Amino acid sequence: MTPLLQFVDVSFFYQQRAVLEDVSFSLEQGECGALIGPNGIGKTTLLRLAVGMLACSHGSVSLAGRRLDSFRRGEAAQLVALVPQRFEVPFDFTVQQIVEQGRTPYLGLFSGFTRRDRQAVERALELAAVTSLRNRIFNELSGGERQRVKIALGLAQEPRLLLLDEPTQSLDLGRQLELLDHIRVLNDEGVTILATMHDLQLIPDTFSSVLLLGPDQEVCKGCPQDILQPDILERAFDCPPRRQSKLVGENGNLLEKIR
Amino acid sequence: METGIAEKVVSDLSARTDRRIGPPDRALFILVLLVLWIAFAFVLVVSMGLGATKIGVREVLGSLLNWHRSGSADSVILFDIRLPRVVASALVGAALSVAGLLFQGLFRNPMADPYVIGSSGGAALGAGIGLFLLPRFSFLGFGGTAAMAFVGSVATIALVYWLARIGGRVPVVTLLLAGFAVSTMLSYSTYFLVVLDDNFGLKTRVLASWLTGVIAVPRWAQLEVTAGMIGCGLIFCLPLARRLNTLALGDDYARQVGVQVEKTHLAIILAGSLLTAAAVSLGGIISFVGLIVPHMARLVLGPDHVRLLPVTALTGAIFLVLADTLARTMLAPSEVPVGLLTAFIGGPFFLYLLRRTRREYTL
Repeated sequence: MTPLLQFVDVSFFYQQRAVLEDVSFSLEQGECGALIGPNGIGKTTLLRLAVGMLACSHGSVSLAGRRLDSFRRGEAAQLVALVPQRFEVPFDFTVQQIVEQGRTPYLGLFSGFTRRDRQAVERALELAAVTSLRNRIFNELSGGERQRVKIALGLAQEPRLLLLDEPTQSLDLGRQLELLDHIRVLNDEGVTILATMHDLQLIPDTFSSVLLLGPDQEVCKGCPQDILQPDILERAFDCPPRRQSKLVGENGNLLEKIR
Repeated sequence: METGIAEKVVSDLSARTDRRIGPPDRALFILVLLVLWIAFAFVLVVSMGLGATKIGVREVLGSLLNWHRSGSADSVILFDIRLPRVVASALVGAALSVAGLLFQGLFRNPMADPYVIGSSGGAALGAGIGLFLLPRFSFLGFGGTAAMAFVGSVATIALVYWLARIGGRVPVVTLLLAGFAVSTMLSYSTYFLVVLDDNFGLKTRVLASWLTGVIAVPRWAQLEVTAGMIGCGLIFCLPLARRLNTLALGDDYARQVGVQVEKTHLAIILAGSLLTAAAVSLGGIISFVGLIVPHMARLVLGPDHVRLLPVTALTGAIFLVLADTLARTMLAPSEVPVGLLTAFIGGPFFLYLLRRTRREYTL
């Protein structure tokens, strides 16, 4: 079976500096992947390459077996959506007005919203559990609510693959767990997930696989139990020796106690 | 059981509050448009009756509906003085307001306006240069002034856009500083043209009035050209309106969903410049209209650009016809430049907005 997302020897240069070099990995349909790695290693760049917001300098990115650069404008956005980390809206748009923008890839310049578009928006609002917020002003929502609206915006594209950039960042513990529940529900609904994650402790309960982007630009992929091991993480994150014992492998049951 | 009821009440309440602060729906939009059209017709007729010679509403209506020039003094005043001027102010108001809406969307910044970002100043300088260098130039019926006003406006916005953008965002402070510096240079350049012109004794009055903003009584031919420009600009805006909604969520987001961001920005700059240039070649630099009107419209209808576009155009037309009527009647027989009036109204409004948005933007 062709993987849903495939990177083959992908390099990306920004102002002559290599941000990513010869990165290869693949993600199968139905997977729920967590992308981890040290700061500045290029996790966000990788996600942007996967939606075609950036074009890779060498190598190839393929979606459902088709090279990304062979897609017409807006076509890839019907397969993959990226939920960005930073998202500022200068005007008082309501949640529904924002989520409706997710239909842009399906609309021509002059065509109006069809029943199909409206259904997709409804479904997206429902899946992200923001239906009750639909008439609220986005800028007046709390952090957790905004995060869910951003997910609904991505879902309105009806993607097979949803990419999330640091979805749990700046949320309190309760909202983090809530959000991960939503991610799991989405995955159960058949949406393939790839999310960059900072908090490694949150990974095991939700994600089926972990993709570790290490300093050697090698993607190390496996199930959470195999990747989240002290020796692997210590090397990848360049940890000072004494912190070893705090790593997830030995202390990962904190969350289980809470739940 | 009791908790169940309590929960139901709470959810009902929250549903109700949701509806209360909900987006104005389609019915409200249509109602607003209807009210605005009626108000526009009303303002048009009343404004045409006011002036040095008062003409009754019935007579104005009668002449307009029959479109009959009787040759009487009143008829000459109505058709050759009042009507062109009222039409001109309506066009200028609509053009400046929609240009303001476009620029606010382009810069993703509610403080943008053709005057604030210098596009009016660029158009005025361009028009001045056109008046000097190309008095007989004509292209598709567009005179040298209109064409050069367009060039001046495009160049200015492109410059301010380039100066003020930092990493895909336009912070209020860089927008205002770049706009201030550029428009100051431009208006003094135009003033320099006035001084030069003084030595040759040519069109000083026209140039000077451009700097303060006066809607002179235009010739019908001139009106046709600018009406054509404004019509083109407005039609050009229709497909842009939905793009503005997508762009509001950020360039990165728009790119992700397949919007050609750079081309769309260019289209917005061109449409906004066409509108500004047309407005300036009729009425000179009239400040803050493009700031006040889109804000008023947004207060009632929310930020959806598709709905804002027609409402902003109509409100702008009404606003400027009213302002111009006031300008020519309040100190009759002398006339107050309408640009002075809009500055008096718009200046404090601008400062109020700046104060309010200070919390939302890092200055």
